Amino acid sequence: MMHLIARGKNRTAALAALLALAMVGLGFAAVPLYRLFCQVTGFAGTTMRVSEETASAVPVIDNQTISVRFDSNTAPGLGWTFRPERPRDTLSIGQRDLMIFVAKNLTNRTITATATFNVTPSQAGPYFAKIQCFCFTQQTLAPGEEIRMPVVYYVDPKILEDPDARDVREITLSYTFFPVDEAATGG
Amino acid sequence: MTTIAADADHAHHDDHADHKPGFFVRWFMSTNHKDIGTLYLIFAICAGIVGSALSGLMRLELAQEGIQYLPQWAAMMGGEATDTAGKHFWNVMITAHGLIMVFFMVMPAIIGGFGNWFVPIMIGAPDMAFPRMNNISFWLTFVAFFMLFGSMFVTGGSGLGAGTGWTVYAPLSTSGSTGPAVDMAIFSLHLAGAASILGAINFITTIFNMRAPGMTLHKMPLFVWSVLVTAFLLLLSLPVLAAAITMLLTDRNFGTAFYDAAGGGDPVLYQHLFWFFGHPEVYIMILPGFGIVSQIVSTFSKKPVFGYLGMAYAMVAIGVVGFIVWAHHMFTVGMRVDLKMYFTAATMVIAVPTGIKIFSWLATMWGGSLSFKTPMLWALGFIFMFTVGGVTGVVLANGGVDQNLHDTYYVVAHFHYVLSLGAVFALFAGFYYWIPKMSGRMYSEWMGQLHFWTFFIGVNIVFFPQHFLGQQGMPRRYPDYAHAYEYWHHISSLGYLVVLVGLFFFFANVFYTLFAGKKVGANPWGEGATTLEWTLSSPPPYHQFNELPRIA
Amino acid sequence: MAGIYRILIAFLMALTPLALGSVAASAATTARPVAAPATPAAPAATPVATSADAAAPAADAAAAAPAFEYARPVPGIGQPVVGGLDFQPQVTENGRFAHFLNNAILLPLSVVICLLVLGLLLFVVVRFRAGANPVPSKTSHNTLIEVIWTGIPILILVGVAVPSIDLLARQYAPPPANALTVKVTGYQWYWGYAYPDNGIDEYVSNMLDEQTAAARGEPYHLAADNRMVVPAGRTVKLIVTAADVIHSFAVPALWTKMDAVPGRLNEVTFRADRPGVYYGQCSELCGVNHGYMPIAVEVVTPERFAQWVASKGGHMVAPAPAAAAPAATPAAAPAATPAAAPTTPPSAGATPAAAAPAQ
Repeated sequence: MMHLIARGKNRTAALAALLALAMVGLGFAAVPLYRLFCQVTGFAGTTMRVSEETASAVPVIDNQTISVRFDSNTAPGLGWTFRPERPRDTLSIGQRDLMIFVAKNLTNRTITATATFNVTPSQAGPYFAKIQCFCFTQQTLAPGEEIRMPVVYYVDPKILEDPDARDVREITLSYTFFPVDEAATGG
Repeated sequence: MTTIAADADHAHHDDHADHKPGFFVRWFMSTNHKDIGTLYLIFAICAGIVGSALSGLMRLELAQEGIQYLPQWAAMMGGEATDTAGKHFWNVMITAHGLIMVFFMVMPAIIGGFGNWFVPIMIGAPDMAFPRMNNISFWLTFVAFFMLFGSMFVTGGSGLGAGTGWTVYAPLSTSGSTGPAVDMAIFSLHLAGAASILGAINFITTIFNMRAPGMTLHKMPLFVWSVLVTAFLLLLSLPVLAAAITMLLTDRNFGTAFYDAAGGGDPVLYQHLFWFFGHPEVYIMILPGFGIVSQIVSTFSKKPVFGYLGMAYAMVAIGVVGFIVWAHHMFTVGMRVDLKMYFTAATMVIAVPTGIKIFSWLATMWGGSLSFKTPMLWALGFIFMFTVGGVTGVVLANGGVDQNLHDTYYVVAHFHYVLSLGAVFALFAGFYYWIPKMSGRMYSEWMGQLHFWTFFIGVNIVFFPQHFLGQQGMPRRYPDYAHAYEYWHHISSLGYLVVLVGLFFFFANVFYTLFAGKKVGANPWGEGATTLEWTLSSPPPYHQFNELPRIA
Repeated sequence: MAGIYRILIAFLMALTPLALGSVAASAATTARPVAAPATPAAPAATPVATSADAAAPAADAAAAAPAFEYARPVPGIGQPVVGGLDFQPQVTENGRFAHFLNNAILLPLSVVICLLVLGLLLFVVVRFRAGANPVPSKTSHNTLIEVIWTGIPILILVGVAVPSIDLLARQYAPPPANALTVKVTGYQWYWGYAYPDNGIDEYVSNMLDEQTAAARGEPYHLAADNRMVVPAGRTVKLIVTAADVIHSFAVPALWTKMDAVPGRLNEVTFRADRPGVYYGQCSELCGVNHGYMPIAVEVVTPERFAQWVASKGGHMVAPAPAAAAPAATPAAAPAATPAAAPTTPPSAGATPAAAAPAQ
């Protein structure tokens, strides 16, 4: 009798402990899962990356225009200027567009930085397709050096089928440059 | 150490129920669920004093427009007497008040204290499943508290202590706070979390395996049900917090960038993880209170609980739904509209099982023969105040309305109505209900009643005006405010004085009970008290149920 | 122990002056507006940079730009009132709808539910007290009533959910094409505002100190040296971000609140239909001076908006050309060209756009 109770206890406890461990695992797994989830669903204004082939198959809807605003930020103390060439473009849905972002190192030392981005409104994320961009790639600028970084993108015509997003008249694409001096890896 | 081993060995072979080990072994190496429960209660009362003192200081500072005392207080704590240090100390106080009340007052008291004391007894078990692990849980909590307390004396950036708020949001808690204080606070949460996870495993194992013959799950008292559901919430939510804050620590100290946008991380992810824990956490604090109130209402109505199964499964439902509503704490973080709609609707759903509980308590009393002893007063107060906190919860559940009320005093009022007037009322109810059982002595009825009425009036004066402040736009976590807010802040602070009077009666009553209370028999509450603890002597024997009870 | 006494005594002392009567509190508010008129000319003059006192940073560089004077706030509008109970008066359609949802649906419902529970409690307490009902019944089930008290709340909640969801849909309605975009950046501990379409580069907004606020007839803690100025009757789209830690841009009278998260842009819209000054405060704990980075939004007529834009050296975009053209000429001749840029895809307009920020 006592044996049985002891066995049962240990089993329950082991299962409970396993459950707790699984939840710890899930907590950490949330990091890649969240990123994956954002990339797949466009959640939180994550944009889509598409290949050249996919992009070339997209129809252009001439009578439907949308404007795209470009927003740029730099982390405090980075010492760069960073701007889009124009504050916004108006284009047909499905039409491919190129925007150049210009970054310049104003300091007298070489600085490496990397950019994060998102689009607003967040329901437009899944339809903002980038063929070419400079997100998450490191850029190193010598003192006074200027770099022109292209973003090639289009707005997917599927946006017109999404009741939450079809009335969106303007999408804002925002980039923020952060310095990478502090060995910020992982994550 | 040999003596200890001998003692334990001795106790093991001794059948005599009232054999107690020596002082040190009994209280520092305790494996007895009642002793550990007592330790938790004493600990929670001490932490509660610290937490209430902090709220008193905050109400004092907020009683008037302008910064009155903060720089002096910062200096008294060993910091500089500057404006910045003072404002930092404010943030330290709000952080410490929140963490202490949540992790070191309510949880240890309601789960560690009452749970340890009465879950084994109520299911007819001789002790918890893992008595030594139980002891580890308590001492981990104890160390965690001092870790948090210690963090107030080391630098946390612009002053001494961690000034991040109890939510410890990145990046304020990472790049925004240098110095070891935040690390200590995080580590304290790790320890408290580990203690609670061990405790949860212990409760689950105990409840599943150690019920007396005939005590089926559907015959367990509702308090045991509430602790079971709570233990599962702890088990599933705390590990996520542990993971989240571990990543905070590595972001702070080892150059990772889980929450740092600069390295490709996302500060919003921390909020998701925190609230995935944080929302169940609020049910962790309130569910055992539901259980206590159910026992008390039934006892003092001399009636079985109405709709027992509905009550039990309403708690299960609250627990389950509690895991899928977390983002209502983050309505303004910039989330897409369909998600906000989902979280609005899902949050409102919680009102249904909560309503079932409120109405079932009323139905339990309906047709009963009610006596209004102190525990019953607290339970009645709980039912009404929790309703008030509940309806403001439905208001806040509206993502659209929350766009105005988010992070205002309305939220402060709401969660203090469900916690300070909900969970704490349940704690006092449980205390008065069980203190005769735990101590073998009866509390003073008139002091208990005075305690209830002064405390009830006091907390309402403190928190009700905060709804008005919130609707007027007063943000949370401000050490100072625009002149127009002074009126209600002042009244709120006056209420704190009334609360102090109430607390005086509480402590007086505790001392009276322990030193001069009338001795009571096994069941001071009469025929309404039907759970197993009332079949044992008061206080119960050191080892109960050597002969397992049989439940018909 | 002595320390505790001191704190207690301090507590009592802090409370007494106002305990003597809320009269004192209301007297103080009336006192302020009365005191203020004595110095109206001075504060109004400061933005024009005549006096180089505390408000010096407010005097924007563009000395040649046309003058723009901030309006004085109206007590009770866009700011809290002493002893106020309700929300601040709402000046947006969505805000009024949300206010209606709260005051006409949620609040009455809450009161009714609380009174219902209280009433039942009191009834039970009186009717079934031991003295009145010595023998308790043993009823512990009644399926019908359990179904009812599960079903009715569900119906009520569904009823509440409909307008709640509607409110969310309205708040998230995409802004029309002519919306004015304002970029808001939270810093430790001030706000930065920029108008990318108007060529107005970021300017910062700091809290006014107590004397200056009083002199300008503005509430201390809420008043800011530079306001966000937006036109009435036109949708404003805020794009919100932060530079260091998370802040939250909040203006109660506009029913608007949006977190400012570093490395991430958020978007929120409002359309104010009444000119006025509306105050708000940072609403996410952001460090030591979290309580000291207020938000002041001034809603003005379209004409005044054009004036303000000109005073900032900016230019008006397409929607209001008449007002913009003359205003743009004096200070910002080069900046006028990019007004055409947004419509033309090629990169011709790029250089002037880059030149504008250099000023």
